[in-house]
Amino acid sequence: MNNLTRAIDVRDVTKVYRNGAMEVPALRGVSFVIERGEYVAIMGPSGSGKSTLMNIIGCLDRLTEGSYRLDGTDVSALDDNQLAEIRLKKLGFVFQGFNLLARTDAVKNVALPLFYAGLSARERNSIAGARLADVGLGDRGHHKPQELSGGQQQRVAIARALVNNPAVLLADEPTGNLDSTTSEEIMRLFGDLNAGGRTIIMVTHDEEVASHAKRIIRLRDGLIVSDERSAVAAGTSPR
Amino acid sequence: MLYFEEALRVLMANKIRTLLTITGLIIGVGAVIAIQVLGSGMSGAVEGLLGGLADNSFFVQPNVQQGDFQKAAMHEKDLADLRIHVANVSDVAPLSFVRQLAHVGHGHSPAVLFAASAERYATTPFAFGGNFTPDQVAARATVCILSYKTYQKLFPDNSDPLGKSLHVANRRYVITGVMAAPRTGVLNANFGGDVAIPYTVYERDWLQGRILFGAAIYVIDQSQMAQTEVAVINELRNLHRNVKGIQYITFDKKTFNQLVGAVFGVLTMIVGLIGAVSLLVAGIGIMNIMLVSVTERTREIGIRKAIGARKGQILAQFFVEALLLCGIGCGIGLALGLAIGYGVNAFAIVKLTGSITALPWLRATLIAVTFATIVTLAFGTYPAYRASNLDPIEALRYE
Ligand SMILES: Nc1ncnc2c1ncn2[C@@H]1O[C@H](COP(=O)(O)OP(=O)(O)O)[C@@H](O)[C@H]1O
Ligand SMILES: [Mg+2]
Repeated sequence: MNNLTRAIDVRDVTKVYRNGAMEVPALRGVSFVIERGEYVAIMGPSGSGKSTLMNIIGCLDRLTEGSYRLDGTDVSALDDNQLAEIRLKKLGFVFQGFNLLARTDAVKNVALPLFYAGLSARERNSIAGARLADVGLGDRGHHKPQELSGGQQQRVAIARALVNNPAVLLADEPTGNLDSTTSEEIMRLFGDLNAGGRTIIMVTHDEEVASHAKRIIRLRDGLIVSDERSAVAAGTSPR
Repeated sequence: MLYFEEALRVLMANKIRTLLTITGLIIGVGAVIAIQVLGSGMSGAVEGLLGGLADNSFFVQPNVQQGDFQKAAMHEKDLADLRIHVANVSDVAPLSFVRQLAHVGHGHSPAVLFAASAERYATTPFAFGGNFTPDQVAARATVCILSYKTYQKLFPDNSDPLGKSLHVANRRYVITGVMAAPRTGVLNANFGGDVAIPYTVYERDWLQGRILFGAAIYVIDQSQMAQTEVAVINELRNLHRNVKGIQYITFDKKTFNQLVGAVFGVLTMIVGLIGAVSLLVAGIGIMNIMLVSVTERTREIGIRKAIGARKGQILAQFFVEALLLCGIGCGIGLALGLAIGYGVNAFAIVKLTGSITALPWLRATLIAVTFATIVTLAFGTYPAYRASNLDPIEALRYE
């Protein structure tokens, strides 16, 4: 398998938080490879390092030791602006708390990454409108976040994450704030996206949610304790 | 532009805060404009006040501050003495005015009569005829020169007034000249009444031992003006030596200009200080409000960075916000400053002096806006820089 086709290549990654004199090791040597088109759930008890790992994969934080290649690029060598560029073009982030801009309607929220990418207002609006329609919110474009349900807000956030057509979609507890019915809707959406070829990495501690993924990586105390493909998915795995 | 649109939304969402923030800017910009307008208004005022006054003359008066200035009062004989005994004096005219009704044919008009010599008392040109000749003054010729205003009142048909008779009380003066229209300022009138008559005639017809306000002294050599002023004062003190500690003051264009200059200097300094302090306070206000804004919007900044905004783009967002504040402040400050400046110019300076000064609106606007922008950028940089350098994870976690 050609390295260049790998979406994520993480080798011996450690992360140590320093609070003054105190050192908190959050990741203690994590390695895995995620190919394009995979759908991976990262699980583990609270404090096991899931968010830390996601932040590093998402180029929001820097690793302490080890190496990380995203879509063939060595990310650890990049400066802040280059990391921002990666977040903008190659990654889409979905958060537990949605993280939409309040006072800004759905279309403008979805269009924001396009603005940072330098597109004109006309292009932004037409692309953002199309992505909103993709997540089933074509008629809610001018609603502000507080005028939308939790599930709808998360779908706006997903549309925003996908608007620059990133290589990888990252989601940290995307259903953490949603009821089970709404969670199912979001999971169906993720399933469709993955079926369309999108690489998805999602953190969850809900087994039901994780069962939608085709591969589950389990963490404990900053180490991987298991990494297995689900039986159902094994046949369709790209490997 | 999205930055602008977003900034406008933020500022409109906090209208009161926005207004309070830009108050300093408004005052600062207004003050800077006021300086400019005051500056050229004042020089215009000086020009308007004294422009019509002949350059080769000065006034001498008893110092009215002294206790017994009645005794220092000047009389015709003092003036006659000055004409003969002080070097560099070409002529002396009494400063005295009488208000009378002047008639020409069936028309009449109230007019201020005053004494003049054969020297030009004003720089205004003549519309008809010319100045008194020394012979006319010496021979007490009953002639007169009209101001343009009086001419218009008495000759509404614009006919030739030369040789016509002007009747005042039971006297008759032949009109030998009409001044061209002067600038129509309230203060200008002091340097010439409506009807000038030779001082020899004026002394006989109207003075009759009355006290003079003072005298207008005409010099031969203008470069010796200061020395001549001293000589005139000394001569007058000598003439009134029986009165103890008597004082006279002289007054010429140059010293008046210096006086106005000094007053204006102080005024400029005060207004300038107000402007500078206001702009400084405005700058601190902008910085303060932007720091508050950055803190309040930490999470928003985190979101923006997480979805890929570069530092420069966050920086730009806050700069645009600061500049929009600056723009609104400048706009209101300019409107206010220019309105006040225009008002002062139209209703005070023009009315008072009759001089229409071209006020430097464009220059004033440019200077004020430049200053305000520099202050905004200087004080807005730190908050914007802080916003752009927030750590995305910490910013996202902020609540
Ligand atoms: N900014 C930080 N400073 C210090 N310690 C941190 C910080 N963020 C996370 N940690 C610690 O790192 C460990 C892993 O945290 P995290 O990745 O958030 O776990 P999870 O998402 O699996 O609950 C925990 O012990 C947590 O306390
Ligand atoms: Mg977590």
